Amino acid sequence: MGDIGQQLLQGFITAGTPINLMWALLGCTIGTAVGVLPGIGPATAVAMLLPITLKVDPTASMIFFAGIYYGAMYGGSTTSILMNTPGEAGSMVTALEGNKMAKSGRAGAALATAAIGSFVAGTIATVLVTLFAPAVANYAVQLGPPEYFLLMMLAFCTVSSVLGKSTLRGLTALFVGLAMGLVGQEQISGQMRYTGNVPELMDGLEVVLIAVGLFAVAEALYAVLYQGREVETQNAMSKVHMTREEWRRSWPAWLRATFIGVPFGCIPAGGSEIPTFLSYAAEKKLSKHPEQFGTTGAIEGVAGPEAANNAAITATLIPLLTLGIPTSNTTAILLGAFQNYGIQPGPQLFDKNAALVWALIASLYIGNVMLLVLNLPLVGLWVKLLKLPKAQLYAGILIFATVGVYGMRQSAFDLVLLYGIGLLGVVMRRFDFPTAPVVVGMILGPLAEAQMRNALSIGEGHWSVFVQRPVSAVLLALVVAVLLLPRLMRWWRVRRLQVAGLPS
Amino acid sequence: MSRAATKQAAVGAGVLLVGLAMAGGATTISAEAGYSGVGPNFLPWVVAVALMVCGAWLLREAFSGGFRQADAPEGAEQGHWRGFAWVSAGLLINAALITRLGFILSCALCFMLAVQGFKSSEGAGALGIKGWLFNAAVGIAIAAPVYWMFSQLLAINLPGLTSTGWL
Repeated sequence: MGDIGQQLLQGFITAGTPINLMWALLGCTIGTAVGVLPGIGPATAVAMLLPITLKVDPTASMIFFAGIYYGAMYGGSTTSILMNTPGEAGSMVTALEGNKMAKSGRAGAALATAAIGSFVAGTIATVLVTLFAPAVANYAVQLGPPEYFLLMMLAFCTVSSVLGKSTLRGLTALFVGLAMGLVGQEQISGQMRYTGNVPELMDGLEVVLIAVGLFAVAEALYAVLYQGREVETQNAMSKVHMTREEWRRSWPAWLRATFIGVPFGCIPAGGSEIPTFLSYAAEKKLSKHPEQFGTTGAIEGVAGPEAANNAAITATLIPLLTLGIPTSNTTAILLGAFQNYGIQPGPQLFDKNAALVWALIASLYIGNVMLLVLNLPLVGLWVKLLKLPKAQLYAGILIFATVGVYGMRQSAFDLVLLYGIGLLGVVMRRFDFPTAPVVVGMILGPLAEAQMRNALSIGEGHWSVFVQRPVSAVLLALVVAVLLLPRLMRWWRVRRLQVAGLPS
Repeated sequence: MSRAATKQAAVGAGVLLVGLAMAGGATTISAEAGYSGVGPNFLPWVVAVALMVCGAWLLREAFSGGFRQADAPEGAEQGHWRGFAWVSAGLLINAALITRLGFILSCALCFMLAVQGFKSSEGAGALGIKGWLFNAAVGIAIAAPVYWMFSQLLAINLPGLTSTGWL
């Protein structure tokens, strides 16, 4: 324990230098803006800014990127409460009650409970990261290639089959991502694959290119194609203030949601959609005012999901930092940022790059305070962003997309490729394919391949190596369970209905 | 067969074709395996076969009542292809001209074309000369600070019209 305290203190000293504080503030500000604005999310923003990894030192840029990551969660709630379209996916549930509250003149209270709840949950989750990440890292040191390979398989399965609605489309997206990851030089023997002798493809596809193409360019193309005639309406603002009664109702919701959110962030079941829904359901069930849900808007329905969202987002840093396994779009891109520095997140990170890790964790505490200030007294400023005309907003995003992609490799070829990936993203969105598996598959694919081949080398070419080691056998069972359980349950339910003589 | 089903079938066929292409590429990759028993061509084959299976399955779903558990696509039923063409032109012209015109002017051009595309999809007709000039100014006002930040502060090379690092 003393050890952790010491290291955290060291982290605060590093994160507290004026230059790093400036990076944190810049990150939180950009993050909030990105969360508020439609058409651009934290994953896109971090991806567009990846070129700064070429010049800025790793600690500063990780603090900066982390600020964008959780800043976007604060900003997202503003949009989902005030507009009829949520700013980003994790805020969808907040919009359910938030919009209703705003329509009945309580926008201010909804904004307050969202921001304070985000702060409470984010801070508690950061404490948990501080306490548990080193322990997980300690344990993870003992894991070998077979275990890592299966952990990655688990991440693949959950991100492609648990999150989306259709396992088939999730898996298709995953394999498209894996196919993208195959392009370029292969890690173990250095052989070229799928480059077609195009020199630009020898180094592989840039993650910036894929992420910016799939998210920013695809979003712009989709909006111009299909959403030009949509009219967005904005709810009226009111004073950002909570009554004593509203405080009393918010507190328990924040705490419950934090403990729903954190475990979901830790396990490779990625994203914050599931915990926000769970929290919403729990609050609806426990509320003493169920009649307000869906009618005038219940404050618990905003407090809970918003806190769960932030807790989950913060906790995704545990698998990222200790195992090197990203469980969401944005953490996948953060992994890419680490790789640009030649740093491989994983258990050794806490030894080799202790200063960086602890400065990053300390910056989470600092950032949460900054965000509370940015989002409560200054919320009026962000609301003005919602008035930006859509045409100029999307066109501006395309400029930032260009700078992110071109800045990375200085290649005009990449800009053509960017357009192609954008088209792919439009098709995926139109036919309801999830995009997270593409990004996770592309980044994690080459790593998983290397782990698999190392594991098989250990097993001297025998696949039994995956079942002979206890931990890897358990992980393998988990992978199978994740793939089969939902199917079995559905089959069982249908059967039971048939037995009961009802049409399925 | 409905139009929606035809489109879904096209997507399935596309995935199937990508799988076939991946398989074609995989045949050219060496199989030299070393100690592990699997070589550099192992994952390519897995991905190729998986994509073919997914493609075939998507086709099956498309022909038997459409993709399962799919939300109705967001937004309008018909795409606004004229607006799409403007934005596409902006992006591709940017790719073609960025090294010649420099970052600022090329991006401003992309910005102008994209705004025109969005305006037309919102139902406004062609922008007048005043609108174009205004958008050119806004585009430059966005692109220039970005360019200066990259070239002056971060020392990352972006192409310029001149070699001064300011334009």
